[in-house]
Amino acid sequence: MKTANNVGSMTADEKNQLQLERLQSSINRAYRNVPFHRQRFAAAGTEPSHIQSIPDIARLPFMKRKHLSEHYPYDLFAVPLRDIVRIHTAPGTTRNPTVSGYTQQDLHVWQQILARGLHAAGVTPHDILQINLSPGLANWGRDYKRGAELTEASVIPNIPLSIEKKVMLLRDYKTSVLVTTPAMAMELALYIKQQGINTNALELARLILAGDLVTPDNRRFLEETLNVTTWLHYGLSEVPGPAIAFECSQHQGLHINEDHFLAEIVDPDKGTPLPDGEPGELVLTTLTTRAFPLIRFRTGDRASIYTQACGCGSSLRRIQWFAERTDEIMNIDGVNVHGQLVLSNIEETIGRLSGPVYFFVQQVGAKKYLEVWLPVSADIFSDEIKELEKLIHYAENKLRENLGVPVDIRLREKIE
Amino acid sequence: MLRIQNLTCYYGRIRAIKGVSLSVAKGRIITLIGANGAGKSTILSAICGILGNWEGEITFEGSSLKALDPPSVVKLGISLVPEGRLVFPPLSVMDNLKLGAYTLYRKNNSTAAAETLEQVMDLFPILRQRANQPAGTLSGGEQQMLAIGRALMARPRLLLLDEPSMGLAPQIVEKILQTIEFLRDNGYTILLVEQNARAALEIADRGYVFETGSVVLQGEASSLLEDQDVKRAFLGKDYGDFYEDRQ
Repeated sequence: MKTANNVGSMTADEKNQLQLERLQSSINRAYRNVPFHRQRFAAAGTEPSHIQSIPDIARLPFMKRKHLSEHYPYDLFAVPLRDIVRIHTAPGTTRNPTVSGYTQQDLHVWQQILARGLHAAGVTPHDILQINLSPGLANWGRDYKRGAELTEASVIPNIPLSIEKKVMLLRDYKTSVLVTTPAMAMELALYIKQQGINTNALELARLILAGDLVTPDNRRFLEETLNVTTWLHYGLSEVPGPAIAFECSQHQGLHINEDHFLAEIVDPDKGTPLPDGEPGELVLTTLTTRAFPLIRFRTGDRASIYTQACGCGSSLRRIQWFAERTDEIMNIDGVNVHGQLVLSNIEETIGRLSGPVYFFVQQVGAKKYLEVWLPVSADIFSDEIKELEKLIHYAENKLRENLGVPVDIRLREKIE
Repeated sequence: MLRIQNLTCYYGRIRAIKGVSLSVAKGRIITLIGANGAGKSTILSAICGILGNWEGEITFEGSSLKALDPPSVVKLGISLVPEGRLVFPPLSVMDNLKLGAYTLYRKNNSTAAAETLEQVMDLFPILRQRANQPAGTLSGGEQQMLAIGRALMARPRLLLLDEPSMGLAPQIVEKILQTIEFLRDNGYTILLVEQNARAALEIADRGYVFETGSVVLQGEASSLLEDQDVKRAFLGKDYGDFYEDRQ
C-alpha cells in the first residue's frame, strides 16, 4: 500500500481498493457510533454491508447543511468528546452554528492534506509563506499554518492587517508565497498597481488562492500585475476544511485528495449520480475522518470530473470547479452565507419586519460584501434619526460577527 | 499481493464476517486485531480454503481463491501457522517439518524439500538441535518456531499467522515477534492475526481493526498505536501487565 505522499502514483485499481476499504470502515464507524446515520440508513432500507463497491454509495442518503445545524452541537460526532482535541465553529443555516470536531489523528491528516496541496504548488523549506484570509476563514488560517509548517516553509500566520501593512510585510519579510482569497488578492494587486509599487522589489512568486473561484481574467490580471504564478485550492468553509482539491503544475483542474475524500457529481435536482465529464453538484464523503464523518455531503458547489488523466501523471482525479452554485448559499470571499441565517439575524436584532428583506452579494473594487435592504416601515421607524442609525449600526455589527463577512444595511422606502 | 473484497462468511446461519475488504502488499506485515470473536481467524480460514462457504472475492497475485481446497491454496504459495500451533506431538521435529513439504514431495521434488529444510533449520537453529526429539517435548516457544518452520517448508510467499503469541511468556513472545520481523525482512509477506494488539502493531506495517465481523478502522500501524479508540479497546493492558495479573 502506498503511503500518504505517493498516493498519486497508485494505479486506478490500487486506488479503488484503498477507497473501498476506507469507505467501508468509515461507514461502519459512522453507523455504529452516530444514531443519525444509523437511523437514516435504516430509513433508506440499507446497512453498511450493502456497500460492496464505490458506486454502491448511491444507496446511501445525502447529508445536507441543515442536518449539521439540526444536530447542534455534538450529535454528529463519531467519537467520544474526550477524543476531540479541537472544536470548530462556523456559521450555519440557522441560528445554530455548524460545529465540527477533530481528533488528534484528524488534525494530523489535515496537516498532511494541506502540505500535499502546498507541495504541489512548489512550496519548499526555502519559502516564506504568508497567510491572509478573511476573519470568516479563521479556521482555514490555522489549517494552512499547520500544513505550511509541515512543508518546513517559514510561516507568517493569519492576522488581520490593513492593506498597507500587508504590502509592508510582503516587502520587508520577503514573502515568496501568499495564501489568500481571490478577492483579497485582487484588492492587493489593484493597490500595488495604484501605488505604483515595483513588483521587482517583492520576492512574491506564488499565490495560493483559496475560498472562491477565480475568473480566468482576474487570474491573468493577478499573474501579470504581481508577476506570480497562481494555484487554486478548493475547500469548504464550514466542514471539514480547505484544500480538499488542489491544482498541480498543469493548472488544469483540481486534484481531489481521493485517499481522504470520495467525490461524486450528482444531478442537483434529482440527486442521481452523473457520469464523469458532466457538470452537477459536488458531493463529498470523508474516508479517513474520525470525529466528524460526512457521508454524501451536498456541497452546493457546481463541478464536473475530468475524464482524462492529468499531464502530471497523478492518478488522483480532477474536478473542474464552476462559479455558479446549486443552492441558495452566497460565497463571500470564501465564506458561505446562508440566506436563512441573514433573515434570522435581522429578526433577532431589529425584530420581525412587515415588508420583505432583500440581500445580495455586492462588490466594490475587488471587495465583496453582503448588502441587506430593509423596508422602512412602522416597525423600525423612529423620530430620532440617531436612534435609527444606532439600530442599523447594531444590526450590521451583529451580522458581521455572526456571518464573518462585511455587511452593509440600507433602508429602502420602496423596494421594487 | 492478497486482495479481499466484500468477504462474507457464515457459520451455519450466523454471519461471522460481514463484507470485509482488505489488502496485503508484498513484503509487508499486515495485522488484524480485534476482540475474541471479532472474526479475525475466520478470515484466515477463508483464505486457506478451510472454510468453504464464503462470499465475496479473494485474489492472490491476481488469481481467485474461490472454491480452492487447502492443498491448492498451499500450492499457490500461501501457508498457515494455525492457532495453538498444532504440531504433531509424537512425531519428531524433523518429521513435523517434512510434513510441511508435503506438496514438494508430491511433486517428487525432494531436492527442493531438502534445500528448504536446511534453510528452515538455519533460520531456527534450535530445531536442528532438537531434530530427533518428539515435538511434544518442546517448550511452547519452540513449538511455535516449529509450527512456523513447518509452514515455511511449503515455500510460501504469503504466511498467515494465527495468534502466534498465545500462551507464551513475554520473553518468548518477544522472540517470536523478532522472528516474524526477520521473515518480513527476508522477503516474506505476512498476515498476522493477534489478540495481543500492541505487540502486533509494534512490528506491523499496517493494521485492520475488527469489531463483530466488520472492519472499523485501518491504517499505518504506528497511527493505530496512537489511536484513542484502539488504545481503549485493545491496548489497556499489554501482555506484560496481563501476564503479571495471572501470577
